[in-house]
Amino acid sequence: MKKLIYPFLAIVLIIGSAFTIFKAQDWKIADTSFVKFDGGDPSGQFGGMKGTISFDPNDLANSKFDATIDVTTINTGNGMKNTHAKSEKWFDAEKYPTIEFTSSAITKTAEGYEAKGILGMHGVQKEVVIPFTFQDNTFKGSLTVNRLDYNINTAEPNHGASSFKVDISVPVTK
Amino acid sequence: MFRRIFFHGLMAGLLSALAAIIYSRIYFFATETDFSKVLGLRRIIGFSLLTCMMTVLVNYGIIRWLKKKGEIIFNFLFSILSFAAVMIPISVTLPLSVQLPELFPGLAVPMVFFPAMAWYTLNPLFPRK
Repeated sequence: MKKLIYPFLAIVLIIGSAFTIFKAQDWKIADTSFVKFDGGDPSGQFGGMKGTISFDPNDLANSKFDATIDVTTINTGNGMKNTHAKSEKWFDAEKYPTIEFTSSAITKTAEGYEAKGILGMHGVQKEVVIPFTFQDNTFKGSLTVNRLDYNINTAEPNHGASSFKVDISVPVTK
Repeated sequence: MFRRIFFHGLMAGLLSALAAIIYSRIYFFATETDFSKVLGLRRIIGFSLLTCMMTVLVNYGIIRWLKKKGEIIFNFLFSILSFAAVMIPISVTLPLSVQLPELFPGLAVPMVFFPAMAWYTLNPLFPRK
């Protein structure tokens, strides 16, 4: 039995080190990243994106996005609207301080790539697909989000927009 | 009479602009927020002069129209409109590149009263005949 310990350790090391070799490139999210939302009224953006991005165009199987944005960074261009957006009636930033996205699969498409994953917002988690491109060290993606799907002010479905076009821009560095 | 009202308005516009510039500098040092993209020097001077020049026309028109009661009506109207103008900086949507829009009303709301304050301050120097 003792004879098997070293071969076993060697296999563990080989497999472990293989993961370090095949791990997709890690990217650091730049402070200039933003998530813009456009619903006519209101429109605005979130900043403060944090998280980990492992992405290698040649190794999509090991690529992964795990990012959060701070709800309190919302900026609609109007102070009064910002305060309302963070309130209990809308995003309830005190109870749900972040919006999260964790990818489960990244695939290549004709236009670029697609990240399938879970978008968590306002305590609700839903599967979404985000088409994106990666050029000049910047990830750019867009999707449509309906606030009612995430139980955001469902009492007033017609108060402002309910469907928002969301544009994501994430400059990264190695 | 128009000449007297015109110079009243011009001086009030300049005084209002001066007060607004001083206030904007104090606000910048107090809060370290830069709103110069949306409310820079040119816009402050332009807003003050435009408001006071429009006031000249309204003042002249009301005094011509209502004679003695004109000045009373004008004073009420100018005060009410200045107060109502508070809604402009509160409801305005700033460009997204401007940080902390929550602090913008603190800068701009007092400024909407400066033309009226300057006008009434200089009023005794330009008596209507």
